[in-house]
Amino acid sequence: MANPGGGAVCNGILHDHQKQSNGSQRQSGNCTKNGIVKEAQQNGKPHCYDKLIVESFEEAPLHVMVFTYLGYGIGTLFGYLRDFLRNSGIEKCSAAVERPEQKDFVPLYQDFENFYTRNLYMRIRDNWNRPICSAPGPLFDVMERVSDDYNWTFRYTGRIIKDVINIGSYNFLGLAVKYDESMRTVKDVLEAYGSGVASTRHEMGTLDKHKELEDLVAKFLNVEAAMVFGMGFATNSMNIPALVGKGCLILSDELNHTSLVLGARLSGATIRVFKHNNIQSLEKLLRDAVIYGQPRTRRAWKKILILVEGIYSMEGSILHLPQILALKKKYKAYLYIDEAHSIGAVGPTGRGVTEFFGIDPGDIDVLMGTFTKSFGASGGYIAGRKDVVDYLRAHSHSAVYATSMSPPIAEHIIRGMKLIMGLDGTTQGQQRIQQLAKNTRYFRQKLNEMGFIVYGNEHSPVIPVLLYMPSKVAAFARHMLERKIGVVVVGFPATPLAEARTRICLSAAHTREMLDKVLEALDEMGDLLHLKYSRHRKSARPELYDETSFELDD
Amino acid sequence: MNVGVAHSEVNPNTRVMNSRGMWLTYALGVGLLHIVLLSIPFFSVPVAWTLTNIIHNLGMYVFLHAVKGTPFETPDQGKARLLTHWEQLDYGVQFTSSRKFFTISPIILVLQIVPTSFSLYMNVLSPTHLPPGQALLSCFSQYFIHV
Repeated sequence: MANPGGGAVCNGILHDHQKQSNGSQRQSGNCTKNGIVKEAQQNGKPHCYDKLIVESFEEAPLHVMVFTYLGYGIGTLFGYLRDFLRNSGIEKCSAAVERPEQKDFVPLYQDFENFYTRNLYMRIRDNWNRPICSAPGPLFDVMERVSDDYNWTFRYTGRIIKDVINIGSYNFLGLAVKYDESMRTVKDVLEAYGSGVASTRHEMGTLDKHKELEDLVAKFLNVEAAMVFGMGFATNSMNIPALVGKGCLILSDELNHTSLVLGARLSGATIRVFKHNNIQSLEKLLRDAVIYGQPRTRRAWKKILILVEGIYSMEGSILHLPQILALKKKYKAYLYIDEAHSIGAVGPTGRGVTEFFGIDPGDIDVLMGTFTKSFGASGGYIAGRKDVVDYLRAHSHSAVYATSMSPPIAEHIIRGMKLIMGLDGTTQGQQRIQQLAKNTRYFRQKLNEMGFIVYGNEHSPVIPVLLYMPSKVAAFARHMLERKIGVVVVGFPATPLAEARTRICLSAAHTREMLDKVLEALDEMGDLLHLKYSRHRKSARPELYDETSFELDD
Repeated sequence: MNVGVAHSEVNPNTRVMNSRGMWLTYALGVGLLHIVLLSIPFFSVPVAWTLTNIIHNLGMYVFLHAVKGTPFETPDQGKARLLTHWEQLDYGVQFTSSRKFFTISPIILVLQIVPTSFSLYMNVLSPTHLPPGQALLSCFSQYFIHV
């Protein structure tokens, strides 16, 4: 097992042998003599810089961009034509229109704002919001639906497309499956506690299950304390306002998730955006913040909070944590990492992006994550030092107003976490994590060989494959469903104008056969739709970076 | 903050003209329009150039300076609804490279009219058979002679 952090895995628990046993010193390598804290001298750089970050965001050839813009341009021109036909009555209008009695009222909506939805999205709408009717495991069932009027309305034929390979769900460790006997404890908890909590954390909604889960999360992440919330999105949007307020500065990555952006806006702090994963951009903002202070009064900022994510879901890039940590220490800012996609998915034992780089999680001020992705449940957590978490227990908006987590879900997460940590006595958790890493390596390597443009870090299980043109997005999704593979595609305006993509999320539950079937289908689609734009074809022989284990069956 | 959006750009319209390859697409689009007009047998070369200019200017006027707002919903609470695309470019920062490019391009297009109408100009319009620049200057010089 690869251990870049220098720790050793014993019985599924990562022991960091360099850590001080004295609980008050969380920084690794500090020693106190005569009351003076000094950092232990090390020969050379800290080991966390040794992890090679291999990521690529290759640009497509220029003709691809030209055709993409031409595609949008022609779509826009035809959109204007169709709008004219609909407005003048030549064509029947299937969209919602204002009632004729209210014709002279001020309109509720501006119809130009729906131009894109009406004219471009409606044409290819059948690729989104597809209802499924089974658990989102590696295979799932999709309800078949057809449209008689070009996607304005759908009807269900009643048939179900069975056993569609699922490469769209964030089911990284394969824990989001149908009930089976190993989930017995979840059923018992459901029978004992019921499904609803019917209260907030502050009133009567704190159960012993929550305490058990919070202790387990703190142990899992190797931090002092943790608090869990019922909804992952609300964990960000309700807790950032409790941590920062007016007079504080938030430096947020340009590709941060909507929940982080909403939380930052609700807090009332000043928000400045730095370029994605760009250390120079962040350093410039930090320097300006420290030198110039608040805008008009030039007072010092009360707090500077850096908001980043562990793995960015649309790009597949992993955070450059060692450099950001160095900047944070230099400029004395606070760091908040949203590990929604990276907890359970990266790192030798699944502890997330801190373990991936071999960094002590005590260095990070606020570690946030969700249970929706790798644990197959719902909800989120915030972990860190005990005083931070205790403050949040009292002041978090979610603790005061929102219902707490449902007990069977808490039990499901407890079961999943014990599985990953190896506390249930098996090595199944560790096997799942290794299977995910193997799948990621294999899939990314094969995609690069085929010549697709793939974004992101080579270790991230989130794999965006670029499609560029809006028509290819639709064709790709439809063809893949015909081949019984369910994908997620995204276009403008969720992504930049010319970078429409399909986002593949691998799972530990995917077998080699499923991956091969998907790769074969991707190969065919790549040839049919001419998607293989990459000009940096990698060789078939993988280079060894810093692997300390060799697998003979790849 | 638009639901389902993966970036924190409030109004993507501001960045559209800066995208990689957009200027090339625009130039190719104008070129395509011109070639289509040249292919129509009734139009001679100067007429085709004039029509290119007229259609290009009309199109640019409608899309950049007449239509207000954005074709998608933005989370800026309607600030962009009162602005044309030209005003939205780069959030109102003036003299950026996109603005300069789109200011210069109709000027370049109109400057193509005279040289390509050379034969018409020389044989019919210009009695002096001077090169166009000088002839143009001499056209205007008559207004200054009386001073």
